[in-house]
Amino acid sequence: MSNPSSRVAITGYGCVTALGEDASSTWDALLEGKTARAPITEISIDGCRVREGAQARLPLLSGHTQKQLSRLSRASRLLIPAASEALAKASLLKSNGMCELMRLDTSIGTTACGMEMGEGFLRSVWNNQPRGRGSLLAHYQAQQQVGELHRHFGFTGSTTLIANACASGSNAIGHAADLIRCGMADIVLTGGYDALCELVFCGFDALLTLAPEACRPFDRGRNGLMLGEGAGFLVLEKESLARTRGVEIHGFVAGYGHTTDTGHLTLPNQDGTFVETAVRDALKNAELDVSQIGYINAHGTATPFNDSAEAKAYRRIFGNTPARLSSTKAALGHTLGAAGSIEAVLSLLALQTGKLPPQINLIDPEPDVEDMLVKMGEKADLDAVLSVNLGFGGSTAALALSRS
Amino acid sequence: MIIEILSTGSVSPNGVGKIGSPEKCPEISLVGSSATHPVALVDKNAPEILKWSKEPRLRRASPISYYLIEAANQALAPFPDLNRTRIGVVVAFFLGCVDYSVMFYRQITTDGRRYGSPILFPETVFNTPISHVVATLGIEGPVYSQIGDKSGWVTALRTAECWMKNGSADHVIVLGAEEFDPHVLDALHASRLLKKGLPLAEGAGAVLLSSKGNGSSVKLASAKDGYCFANRSEAIETAVACLSNAPQSAPILSTSNGWNANVENFTATGREWLFDKKLNCEAFTASAAWETIRGIQLIQELQLTSLVIPHWGITQQSGAIHLVR
Repeated sequence: MSNPSSRVAITGYGCVTALGEDASSTWDALLEGKTARAPITEISIDGCRVREGAQARLPLLSGHTQKQLSRLSRASRLLIPAASEALAKASLLKSNGMCELMRLDTSIGTTACGMEMGEGFLRSVWNNQPRGRGSLLAHYQAQQQVGELHRHFGFTGSTTLIANACASGSNAIGHAADLIRCGMADIVLTGGYDALCELVFCGFDALLTLAPEACRPFDRGRNGLMLGEGAGFLVLEKESLARTRGVEIHGFVAGYGHTTDTGHLTLPNQDGTFVETAVRDALKNAELDVSQIGYINAHGTATPFNDSAEAKAYRRIFGNTPARLSSTKAALGHTLGAAGSIEAVLSLLALQTGKLPPQINLIDPEPDVEDMLVKMGEKADLDAVLSVNLGFGGSTAALALSRS
Repeated sequence: MIIEILSTGSVSPNGVGKIGSPEKCPEISLVGSSATHPVALVDKNAPEILKWSKEPRLRRASPISYYLIEAANQALAPFPDLNRTRIGVVVAFFLGCVDYSVMFYRQITTDGRRYGSPILFPETVFNTPISHVVATLGIEGPVYSQIGDKSGWVTALRTAECWMKNGSADHVIVLGAEEFDPHVLDALHASRLLKKGLPLAEGAGAVLLSSKGNGSSVKLASAKDGYCFANRSEAIETAVACLSNAPQSAPILSTSNGWNANVENFTATGREWLFDKKLNCEAFTASAAWETIRGIQLIQELQLTSLVIPHWGITQQSGAIHLVR
């Protein structure tokens, strides 16, 4: 048994996705094999080749006037409810919705911050509309979304905002665990968020990486990703603190590995070498054997190069072990900076319930992982799971979560 | 654990390997009005900068990538034998790749959706410049891009501390970098964050930290952040708290760049302050790096035993570091 003072317990979790306004509704829809793919209506993408994605319904936010809500970025409207759910599960919310702690460190990932506010600012400059320009800016930068989190819940603290592209959410959680393990924090609210926005949607459209039809991770006929939006949060704390507080421990962040694939900005190394190294580092960090991993929530964007690289890595690592594999991006979309954190929440739910999110939209499976892909209704008795994410610039991160 | 600062690197409007800006800077117009503001730009034609643009991977990279690579390369240069698999890199950005982001957004909104360049878009991503840094310099340790205001520099130093404490890296290059785009002037003007006459600048700064030093370099005794604020009155309160938690006997390097001069005035009583003319412009996280670099120089020049350097954020928090000889 590891030393409880150095183990990182997960005491809270929450998410907002295009499939649900909280973790349980997202999870239920995921297990039913639903997909959130629908026409995008909240942002202007006229003229793009692809106009569908996974758009979230914004949860109601109590305690804000209509005027205050109108000033919040879409990103904040996603991250505050997700953080609220995580804090509540960790018994850190008072009855008035404020945080029990005055100081709470955060480690948060994002790629686009409150981008629609930044876009609005640029348009206001180009169209010579100075009114409201200051407010747009004040809600654009990522530290402003954290500030809104602070004000909403009444806490403050050190904030690490990680922008490692689509691995940001995983990096943020791994970093939070690192801060706790090395004694720089006792308890950390960690996660990631991103909202749909013009610049990013049109960017992926320009790259021709958006799927014109259903998103099919690990299918030989896959033809691109589905963009999504959302937020996911965990509360991590020293196991000893969680035991002292008497709160339920949902699992542990047992290990974390991260690498940078320096070969190309947007194409992963086709041997999957950097995925393999990140996963093996996470396993080593967790002191887990490959055979103890029962489920892998893969990055699985459904782009031709990403999935083949991942598939090769997983086959090499897991060989003939019975590990199960799926990418939930076919259902939820690729939520960029939120992906790692939402998928960590889903991996945790798999660990807790023994139910596995199915690989939907599969017609002709990628041969390297054909026997690993999760079918509808599968269950397993899990001791440990992995959540893996890759991003532009070669950022690659793997989290190992364990039940005990 | 003892963390030493083995070396530094910088790119600034004053030149490669230098910090700060020239005394006289050109006035540049805001995009959305006829108002002007002094701006100090890096000489992009300096041979040390130009050489990076010839690297195949970097032909289309943004200016900020060149500044970062050059600053990191300078910091590494005295230590060619360091094991690069054990070097981590963390960069702090306030604005990041603003130049290309504005350019790409203009393409898709003005020229049309299908005129967005697929080559330009990946260069707008926050962590692209640091990916270029590690690819070009052959670094294989942990890599983070972090966002924040100027005080994000302190948070980046904390990340480096964490990596060295948990054994992820023996050495960490911490960088701060910004690039200029005229829209930044409009942004700062709209936010009333521009101090009249203080040049807005661009560039990069780097420090190479080590947990394996021989004790002869300046040490990073502490890096404290998290003094968050929502408005200027809170900013003053939190900045006062930040400084009151710093060692009381150590002199403080003045790094105020405008409204936060009030903070320094407020906390001045009974403390020894150092004022330095080289810190004469605002380049956000790059300035924070230059302030740390200047602090190291002052410790050596003035034979100080220790020095506190506050890094006043303008939109998020205050932070401070404590250096000792």
